[in-house]
Amino acid sequence: MINLLPLVKNETIKIIKKKRFYVVLLILVVLVPMFTYAQMRSAERTREKFHGDWRLEVQQQITDNENSLSSDRVPDEWKKFRKIFIQQLQYYLDHDVNPNEPNGVTFTREFLDNSISLFIPLLVMAIASDIVSGERTSGTIKMLLTRPVKRWKVLLSKLIALVMYNSLIVVATVIITYLISGAVFGYKGFTIPVFTGFLIRGSEVDMSAVHAVPQWEYLLMQAGLAWCVSLVVGVLAFMVSVLVRSTAASIVVMMAALIAGSILTNMASAWSSAKYLFMVNLQLTNYLSGTPAPIEGMSLTFSLIVLTVWGAAAIAISFLVFTKRDILN
Amino acid sequence: MFMYITFTETTVQIDLWRDYVLSSSKWIWRIIGILSVAATLLLIAGFAYAVQDINHPQGSKLNLSAPSAKPEGTAPGIIEQKKELKAAVIGDSLAKGTGDSTGSGFARRSVTKLAEATGKKVTLLNNLGINGLTTSGLLPKLREQGTRYVLGEADIILLSIGGNDLFQGADLLSGSQTGTAANDGEAADLDPDELLEALPQAKKQLQQILEQIRKINPGALIIYVGLYNPFGDVKDLKVAGNQAVSEWNSAALTVINKYDNMTLVPTFDLFQHHLNKYLSTDHFHPNDQGYERIAERIVQGML
Amino acid sequence: MSEGSILKSQDDVVLSVEHVKKKIGRKWIIHDVTFDVREGEVFGFLGPNGAGKTTTIRMLVDLIKPTSGTIRVCGYDVNKNQEQALRFVGSIVENPEAYTYLTGWENLEHFARMQRGIDRQRIQEVVDIVRLDQRIHDKVSTYSLGMRQRLGIAQALLGRPKLLILDEPTNGLDPKGIKELRQFIRQLADEGLAVFVSSHLLSEIQLLCDRVAIISKGRVLAVGPVEELVSENALYVIWDLSSVGEGRSLLSRQAGVEVISDAEEVLDDAIIAGMGQEAIVTRMDEQHVASIVRQLVSAGIEVRSVHKINPTLEQLFLKMTEGESID
Repeated sequence: MINLLPLVKNETIKIIKKKRFYVVLLILVVLVPMFTYAQMRSAERTREKFHGDWRLEVQQQITDNENSLSSDRVPDEWKKFRKIFIQQLQYYLDHDVNPNEPNGVTFTREFLDNSISLFIPLLVMAIASDIVSGERTSGTIKMLLTRPVKRWKVLLSKLIALVMYNSLIVVATVIITYLISGAVFGYKGFTIPVFTGFLIRGSEVDMSAVHAVPQWEYLLMQAGLAWCVSLVVGVLAFMVSVLVRSTAASIVVMMAALIAGSILTNMASAWSSAKYLFMVNLQLTNYLSGTPAPIEGMSLTFSLIVLTVWGAAAIAISFLVFTKRDILN
Repeated sequence: MFMYITFTETTVQIDLWRDYVLSSSKWIWRIIGILSVAATLLLIAGFAYAVQDINHPQGSKLNLSAPSAKPEGTAPGIIEQKKELKAAVIGDSLAKGTGDSTGSGFARRSVTKLAEATGKKVTLLNNLGINGLTTSGLLPKLREQGTRYVLGEADIILLSIGGNDLFQGADLLSGSQTGTAANDGEAADLDPDELLEALPQAKKQLQQILEQIRKINPGALIIYVGLYNPFGDVKDLKVAGNQAVSEWNSAALTVINKYDNMTLVPTFDLFQHHLNKYLSTDHFHPNDQGYERIAERIVQGML
Repeated sequence: MSEGSILKSQDDVVLSVEHVKKKIGRKWIIHDVTFDVREGEVFGFLGPNGAGKTTTIRMLVDLIKPTSGTIRVCGYDVNKNQEQALRFVGSIVENPEAYTYLTGWENLEHFARMQRGIDRQRIQEVVDIVRLDQRIHDKVSTYSLGMRQRLGIAQALLGRPKLLILDEPTNGLDPKGIKELRQFIRQLADEGLAVFVSSHLLSEIQLLCDRVAIISKGRVLAVGPVEELVSENALYVIWDLSSVGEGRSLLSRQAGVEVISDAEEVLDDAIIAGMGQEAIVTRMDEQHVASIVRQLVSAGIEVRSVHKINPTLEQLFLKMTEGESID
C-alpha cells in the first residue's frame, strides 16, 4: 500500500534528530586529532633520527626486521609476516617510492588500514545497535507497528537508513581524517604511487602482478572495502538490536564480538576453523596492501563469502523475528 | 500603539522561526538522502574496483626512476675536510652491537668518540648489522637498493664481517643462528680443521665485499674491524683459531692496502689475553668494555 | 471500492472479535473473547489488572497475533490484512508514547508519512482538535503527561479512523483532565466514531460508555448496555437516621429491601470508613428510596442523609462468577 520512501525518510530524520549521527561525527572530530598528533610526534622523531631521509628509515626498518628473523623467540608465523614485509619494503626502495610519505592522504590511508576492523564498525554500531531496540526502549515501537504498514516494510526502511548512514560514516571518516591530518601533514599526496597486487605464496611474495596506483585510487578501494566490512558489522548489530530489548545490551554484544575478533586475529593461526568467524575476516585492506591473512587459506573471495553469509543470515533472522514476534511490552 | 507594533513583530519572528523548524525535516531528508546515495554509489564503485584489483591484479611496467647512489668524489683526508660526518655500519652481530648491555656497540660508541675528538657533528645514518650474517649473506645485500643508498650517503663506513664464517655455530651462544649444533651449542664442539676449511672461500668473498663497497662509494672512508679469536682460552681451538684469524686478517689487508681510504682496525691483540675482561657472557661477543676498546681504536685509526 | 459493500453487509459493526484465544508459552492468557463494537458508540472494556485487557487490545492492533480466532476491522482481518484493516484504526496502547527528541509536530508528521492522504492541513486539524497548537513545535520531552496524552490522541485521530482504541486513557490525568477527556470521547462518538475504551474502574465505564464487555481471567463474562449490567445488580443504600433501632425495623419491613448486617463483606473499606457508626446499609432498588424516605419521616424518624453506593467492579464480578473470587 504505502511505499517505502516516506518510511526511509522517517528513519533518516529520526537518526539525525536523535543526534546519533552527530555523536559519530563528534567522536571522529575528537579522536582523529589525537591520532594525528601521535603520528606527528613519531614522524618528528624518525625524521630527527634519519635526517628526513626516508630511504635510511626504510632500510633500517628492513634491517631491524631481518634481525628479528634470526631470533628464536619470534614465532614462525611472525617470521613469515616479516619476511613478506621486508620484501615489500625492498620493493618500495628499489622503485624509489616512499611507502610512508608524510601527508594527509597517506595518513588517511594508514588510518583506514588501522580502523577498518574496529574503529569504523564501532561508529556504525553506534547507529545500528539503536535502530530497533531504541524504539522498543522508548515504547514507540507500538506506534510504529500499529500503523497500516506491513512490518517487513518498517524493518526494511530501517535497514535502508542503516545502509545510507553506513556510507555517510565511511565517507565522513575519510574526509574528516584527511582534513584534520592535512592541516598537520599537508593536503598533498593524491597522486603518489602506492603498490598493490603482491601475491603471497607461502612466505614468498610474487611480485609479477605488482602495480602502482595513484594514492587516491588506493584510498577509494580501501574505503569501498571498509564500507563492505562496516555494512556487515552494521547488519549484525542490526540483528542484535532486533533480538535484544536494550540498546546498551546490543552494543555490548557487538563490542565483545569485535574485540574477540581482533584478539583472535593476532593468535588464531593455530586454530584454522576460526577463519569462518566474521570477526576474523574484517581486515579486508590487508589483501590490498599484501599483508598476509592471519589464517592459512584466507583470501579476499573467501573473506567476502564468509562476510556475505553472516550478513545474509543476520538479515534473514532480523526479518523473521521482527515480522513474527509479539510485542508484549 | 507602540506595544502593538512590538507584538506583531514578535509574531512575525515566531512565524519565521516556525517555518524554519517545519522545514528542518525537509532539508535533513534532502541533504542526507542525496549525500548518502552519492556516498553509497562511490563506495560500491571503490569496493568493486578493489575486488577486481585484488583478484585480478595486472602487473605493470613501472616507470619509476631508480635511486641514484650519489658517490661524492671525496679525496683522502675526508675527516678533516667535511664539516659534518655521516657514518653507516654494516655487517654482523658485532656491527649490530650484540653483547653490549647499552645496545650501542662499537658503532654508536665510535661515532660519539669521533664527535668529541673532532668537535664536528657526527651522525650515524643506519646500523645495518644483522645477527649471524656471513660473507655470503652480505654480498647479495650489497646489491639491494636500500643498502647501496645508505652506503652511498655515508662518509664513513664501518664494516664487521667474517666472524660467523670462521666460527659458524659459535654464534649460537647468542641464541641467534639456527644450525646443526643448536642443541649442545658449545664452542668447544668446533672442529679445528673445520675452522680452516671454510677459509679460502670466505676470504675471497670478503675481498669481493670490500671491493663492492668501494665501488658503491668511492669517496668514503671504509673501516674494517678485524677479527679476534674468541676461543683463545679453549685449548683445542687456540692454535687453529689464532691461525685462522691471522690468515683472515691478512687476506683482508691485501685488499685494503690497494685503496687509499680503507683501513683495518686490529682487535686480535686487544682480546688475545683479555678474553674474560672483554667478552660478554656468551663468550663470543664483546661486552661493553670490549666494544669501548674497539671504538677507541676505530677513532684512533681515523684521526 | 469494495469497502462500502463489506461495510453494508456487516451492518454498522466496526470491530468484530470472534472467539479469540491466545497462548503465551504454555499458558492460555486469553481463553475465548467475542464481542462487537458498533459505529458511534463508546464501548467499555472492563476488567481488573491482569485480566487480559492489554493482551486483547494488543491483538486488536496486530501487536500480538491471536493463537486462534479472528479480529476484523471494517471487514478486514487485522492479522492477515493489516495494511487494509489498520487504516481504520487509531490507537493508544498503554502509555501515549512519542519520540521525545522530536517536536509534537514532527511526531505527527512522522506518523502521517506512514499513511496515505494525510497532509499538513489534516495535521493542523488534529492539533486544533486536541488544542495543542500552543506547544506543538516544542520538543515532546518538555510536555506534561496530559499534553502527551493529547498528542497521543491527535496521533490516533490523524488517519481519520473509524475505530479509536484507548487503553486506560484516564491513567495519570487529573480530575479536570478526566472530565475533559470524557466530553471529548463522547463528542467523537457523536460524530460517528466507534470508541473502544479499556478500564479497571467501573465508575469510569459507567460515566463514559454505552456498552461494556466485562473480562476476567481471559474470559468475557458479559457484554451489554452499561445500565443493564449495573442495574441487574441491586444498589446499596446507606441510611443515616436519628433513631437507628426504629429505622432498622422499618426498613427491614419494606419489600425489596435487604438490610445488610455485615457491611464489611460487601462494601469497600473506603466507604465504610466514610460512613457514620450508626449507618444502616441496605441492598435495594433505587426507585424505592423516595417512598421509604416519606415513610421514615412520617414515622417521626429524621433522615440525616441517604447515600447511594454503586456496586464496585469486585461486587459485579462476585455476582457474575457466583462467589468465585477474582484475584
